[in-house]
Amino acid sequence: MAIDLEPAIAGDVFPEEHPRVAPTALGWLGRAAFVVVVGAVSLYYVLHFEPAHSDVLATGVIVGIGALSLNVLVGYSGQISLGHQAFIGIGAFTSAYVISQSHQSFYAGLAAGAVVGIAQAVLLGLVALRVRGLYFALVTLVWGFVGENSIFRLESFTGGGAGQDAPRPGGFTTDRAYLGLCAIVLAVILLIDWRLVATKAGRAMQALRESPQVAANYGVNVRAYTLLAFAVAGFYAGVAGALFGSRRLNVVAEDFTFAQIALPYLIVAIVGGLRRRGGIVVFALLFVLAGDWLPELAKNLGVTYIQERAGLFIQAFTGVLAVLTLIFQPDGLGTVTAPIGRWLKGEPFRRGGGEGAEGVDVRP
Amino acid sequence: MLAFSVAQPLVLGISNGAAIGLVAIGLVLIYKSSRVFNFVAGEFVTLGAFGTYVGDKVLKLPYPLAIALGLLFGLMAGLVTERLVIRPLANRPRVTILVATAALASLLIPVEIIIGGAKFFGARPIVGGLGFKVPVADVYMSWQQLIIVCTLAAAGVGLAWFFGRTDLGLAVLATSQEPTASRLVGIRLNRITLLTWGLAGLLGAVAGVLLAPVTSQFQAGYGTTTVLIAAFTAAVVGGMTSVPGAFVGGLLVGLVQAFAQINISSKTLPGANSVATLVMLLAVLLVRPTGLLGKEA
Repeated sequence: MAIDLEPAIAGDVFPEEHPRVAPTALGWLGRAAFVVVVGAVSLYYVLHFEPAHSDVLATGVIVGIGALSLNVLVGYSGQISLGHQAFIGIGAFTSAYVISQSHQSFYAGLAAGAVVGIAQAVLLGLVALRVRGLYFALVTLVWGFVGENSIFRLESFTGGGAGQDAPRPGGFTTDRAYLGLCAIVLAVILLIDWRLVATKAGRAMQALRESPQVAANYGVNVRAYTLLAFAVAGFYAGVAGALFGSRRLNVVAEDFTFAQIALPYLIVAIVGGLRRRGGIVVFALLFVLAGDWLPELAKNLGVTYIQERAGLFIQAFTGVLAVLTLIFQPDGLGTVTAPIGRWLKGEPFRRGGGEGAEGVDVRP
Repeated sequence: MLAFSVAQPLVLGISNGAAIGLVAIGLVLIYKSSRVFNFVAGEFVTLGAFGTYVGDKVLKLPYPLAIALGLLFGLMAGLVTERLVIRPLANRPRVTILVATAALASLLIPVEIIIGGAKFFGARPIVGGLGFKVPVADVYMSWQQLIIVCTLAAAGVGLAWFFGRTDLGLAVLATSQEPTASRLVGIRLNRITLLTWGLAGLLGAVAGVLLAPVTSQFQAGYGTTTVLIAAFTAAVVGGMTSVPGAFVGGLLVGLVQAFAQINISSKTLPGANSVATLVMLLAVLLVRPTGLLGKEA
């Protein structure tokens, strides 16, 4: 070593390396058994309860895709969106319009929703090149309300109060089959997301998140990758919107509000854990399932007061959970399972969250 | 004689703009002291209106006392927010704090519905009657609208005195500009932050108490859906750090929204006031990011 570092500084610069111990055969067996047991229990659980809950689970999958869209902006590239009701709603209405007014197939609608979702996100991205930080957050907020109050009230586009019909594709008309379709789409999105982060684009976006100036000095094309982040987020949101519309079979403006889409999806992304796509999807499912369970639970307990207001209690509880998560577990609840993930990869079991999501801020 | 299409939005715009300005001043105070965009501000407005309703219709208090109760609700909301949410997050990224305040709003709205029910609450004006005829124009302005405008003016004068003439006001300004140095000369930062949040809550509640009677009713989430965005736009238009800027910005946004709303039919473009707000916000941010009266970016 040419440069001598003081030990104290060295400790700060290079985090303490744990000696890597390869697990024994028994260790690997234990890990395999763990995977099998957890997998079997979840599979049994899903198959046992799923027939009655297909529709709820499909909603959860769609919320998951929407939250992953926010994760691309907030988690990967250091941008933010408080106007996701416009992102999702534009996808939903475009898809419904293409299916029921232009008489195309569901898949054409899905593609159209994705393309228009990308287009509107890239437009916002162009603004993000000029307007930074909290000010840009404000632009997205107002954009969301323009969608809510203006675009979604254009009768020729959205069919006014009656809404726009959005039939499901042939072969996927039952709730159960539609859940399968949503799960397939989610799998594709997760694959794209994984490849996005693991390749050059992901590293470029990460560099942008930490510091656009430094990234530019290293030859990262700031404009192109900022727009790419928005395009990907718009793509996920457009797809989520198209699925959302056909799940309801009918797209109405009342579904796409700040309080019902933008806030809860952002909270799901943050509580699930930014940059933890698994955590986000799991929390999205739990969030939606909780909304389904609470009324039943309250009904069984005979608490009609809560039963009638279950949605409100869930919303309030999520708000509390979000504040508590931000204060006490800023990396999201997804990090709670991080030690298990490392253990499964062959490392010794060690507590701790792994890579922290904190330190992420909107660009100043 | 002014044409109706000009006079009507003028009256509506100025009175709504005054309420927007009050909330915007609260946003600016908080931004100056904590560098935070406060997304709960809308619910300070709702709580002000709600407190007045509780005092007036539920507890049957005399109207001035009911208003005092509404203001107390807003003040407490501001103080509690600072103590429970903002202070624990003090040194965290600003986006974290922004999301926390948004989460708090999404917590408060359902709680309001659980407590009060998902219905519209009536709000009665301080002085009833048709109001008075505005000179030169053929339109009426209600007494309530006049009271809002006067309150904004009074708040403007009061804050100018507070920041210009009192030690406490000077301490707030010093904290905003240089927190470390302020601490060295013995200013308690926590107290100053608490004070500004209380003040912002109070201003929001004032806007709620006065604005709800103009719209004649309100519901849970009232402030967030009606005033919050306009107030943010006003604060940005004014420069985000300037109290007089927020004052002017509020009136400007109120006028632009009223003109768009009254003169563009919802058949041509529904939600014209939202679009007008977006255009205005983008124009200011792209052309003059420091706002009209802002000194710092």
